[in-house]
Amino acid sequence: MASSPPLSPSNRVRIVVATSVMLTFISYWRAAAIVLNDLASSAFYACGIAEQAVGKSAPWFIVGVMLFSFAVRAVYVESCSMFVRGGVYRVVKEALGGTLAKLSVSALMFDYILTGPISGVSAGQYIVGLINETFVTADQHGWIPRALHNLYNGTPHFNVDLTSVVFALAVTIYYWWENTKGIQESSEKALRVMQITTVMVVILLGWSALTLFKSGYNPVPLPTPANLHFSKESLGFLRHSFPEQSLAKMFGLLGILIAFGHSVLAMSGEESLAQVNRELAHPKLKNLKKAAIVIALYSFIFTGLSALLSVMLIPDAVRVPVYKDNLISGLAMYMWGPLILRLIFRAFVVVVGFLILSGAVNTAIIGSNGVLNRVSEDGVLADWFRFPHRKYGTTSRIINLVVILQIITILASRGDVYVLGEAYAFGVIWSFTFNSLSMLVLRFKYKGVRGWKVPPNITIAGTEIPIGLLSVFLVLLATALVNLATKSVATVAGVSFSVVFFVIFTASEHANRKKYALAKAQMKDHFQLLQSDTVERDTLGIRRGNILVPVRDYNTLTHLRWVLEHSDIREQDVVVMTARISQFGTAAYGLATEQIFSDYEQTLFTRAVSVAESFGKKISLLVVPARDAWSAVAQTAHNLESSTVVAGLSSKVTTAEQAFALGSAWEAIPEPKQQFVLQIVQPEGVVDTFRIGPHTPTMKNEDVILLHRLWLNVTREPGLGQVHHHDILTEALTRFARDYGAHEHDQIVKELRRRSANDGPMPLRRIADQIDTVQPGQSRSDHEAGHPSQDPSDPKGNTS
Amino acid sequence: MGMLLVIVFVRILESMFVVGAIGSFVVLVLSGIEDLQLLFGREEKNS
Repeated sequence: MASSPPLSPSNRVRIVVATSVMLTFISYWRAAAIVLNDLASSAFYACGIAEQAVGKSAPWFIVGVMLFSFAVRAVYVESCSMFVRGGVYRVVKEALGGTLAKLSVSALMFDYILTGPISGVSAGQYIVGLINETFVTADQHGWIPRALHNLYNGTPHFNVDLTSVVFALAVTIYYWWENTKGIQESSEKALRVMQITTVMVVILLGWSALTLFKSGYNPVPLPTPANLHFSKESLGFLRHSFPEQSLAKMFGLLGILIAFGHSVLAMSGEESLAQVNRELAHPKLKNLKKAAIVIALYSFIFTGLSALLSVMLIPDAVRVPVYKDNLISGLAMYMWGPLILRLIFRAFVVVVGFLILSGAVNTAIIGSNGVLNRVSEDGVLADWFRFPHRKYGTTSRIINLVVILQIITILASRGDVYVLGEAYAFGVIWSFTFNSLSMLVLRFKYKGVRGWKVPPNITIAGTEIPIGLLSVFLVLLATALVNLATKSVATVAGVSFSVVFFVIFTASEHANRKKYALAKAQMKDHFQLLQSDTVERDTLGIRRGNILVPVRDYNTLTHLRWVLEHSDIREQDVVVMTARISQFGTAAYGLATEQIFSDYEQTLFTRAVSVAESFGKKISLLVVPARDAWSAVAQTAHNLESSTVVAGLSSKVTTAEQAFALGSAWEAIPEPKQQFVLQIVQPEGVVDTFRIGPHTPTMKNEDVILLHRLWLNVTREPGLGQVHHHDILTEALTRFARDYGAHEHDQIVKELRRRSANDGPMPLRRIADQIDTVQPGQSRSDHEAGHPSQDPSDPKGNTS
Repeated sequence: MGMLLVIVFVRILESMFVVGAIGSFVVLVLSGIEDLQLLFGREEKNS
């Protein structure tokens, strides 16, 4: 392509780039559940870390941070209400310039990368804590075998920190493999986890209230300078300059600020609010605000109240020494009631902790992958990282980089949640600070549409002063600066990490500049990008009943060749589409046109055009950003009124599973919608054909004979000589529907189960029925079903 | 001199924190009122 001469504007290949992500939109409850999966995970470790740093009054600071998070939430609502595209790097670059944008992304990466290790290690601490406690209880009852007792020289136990490291590594490696394969995340899973968590929170609060009533409580010291007791570690670099305990008293407010800085971890995960914004159903802003209210209230109740209750109910003698890393487990153990019930509840806490914290490990990998993909598309990270996995098509090199960094962090921490928490806080606070600063600057620089603004704002001499935004920024900046001095490990680790990433970004940008200029020029010469908000037939200039060909890997275009070989473009248009996938948690902002149509799509479409030219046929090209490939294909086929979708064989699943996935995506499209045929072309030339959507089922021969016999019998009845076969079927189905909905329901289900077991499991048939398989070498006339131009409503012509 | 600079810097940080905290409290109250209006079905007015 580089050597070919530039084409005239009229000869350039037109590519329609849809800019709106094809999503299955979600309610604000689901959006809130996704954010809370991240935000609520910090409740499991934030208070323990804060109390080790500042003493027994830590819960008040956690409550203060949770209140402040209401204001931070407002900043994220404003940032979501701005109609900008391009990801964090572009948005911050527009506000603050390239250098600060790179630093901002580095801080965000530090935040994301630390999320995994702290969540994994914390989950390990909860699990090992429960196992050891169970051993102690079992030993007290004499249930531990003597040999095992002798082996451990006492009660059996696991080394908590070491086992937590092993657990965190196992979870991280599990999610590394899942992400490498390209798992599909769903809001359904997040909602289920939050439902289970809510059950736990309700029991926790209710039982705690009963315990307070029955057993009384320890008062939580007020957050005054006199009540602050900083540990050596919590003063960081300041411990060399000031006598420890006099620092808070010497400056007063500084002590409060330091304590606040040690508690800021409690609101980590707030940034996820921006990442679910794009998935929210209409009216977006209203639903975003509702989701934000749910998130803020839930996290305030869970994180804030559980922090207060832990100090009120767990005795001082064991709270920090025993339960510092699994405080909610400790809370369960000091409830009023029998030991067995407390142990059962503790086990429930551990299960919930495991679900929510291991989910956060996955979120960290997905989030890091998303951010690094965006910066790579912007030329700030070498393209090498974005090269798709040969088998799974995922950006495995970025995933590998992120997971390697996480594994190093887990090993370096040696299972110490406090150290991990301190480092994590660095990423969290600087990421928030950069974001609020960007929003502040964009108030003056960005003149585009903005749905909502953080109040209050006052206008002086025609200039609007964003008082609210400025206030939030000031608190964040003051806290971030104090944390630099008081979190020595975090500062050294965070600054080193940020500097390394900054250097990588700067060097990559320098190296890519020339290449990108050339690629941009080539693209302008060969492609004409037509930006479109939605996917429409008119934009592409195609007719109804077209053939849609989804492509992803430019090395596997066999199915495109098959379509071009078997189709007549005078009768049917061929549309080649690729979906630009961004997973949950990676789409804080919409993608810019050139990000959607990046160099990879450029190469992919260049190959597709070459294939089409070799057949002398014209194809239409389309790129759509989407959350998952099958939804994108189903939605695009629906919008373009395609009669056939022709796909290649997936490397991960069978053709039947592919058909099922597309069928499921089709089911999610609201009515009215039309059916279409899916054909999957395997590399060796075998073509499997499926019908997507409701359709005439394939009937077994014995059923056809039975139907015919019934028809013969019925037509012998007086006055029924005119009855047709379909009348018999209608009567049979009507009776079936009536019986299924009434007293015969259980009997019918039982009978169907028995029949299904005899036939073998075929759940895929529910949505997508396979109707034909064409072997290579068989002619079209022999297998009209394999022909894409066949009427989708009856590709076989004889199925019923 | 060094100590004086430290004290000045600390006082600036403390001032930023206090001013910011008061302003954030105002944000909390104003956005809270909007939230209540939203929850109880009254039309919000965006600034």
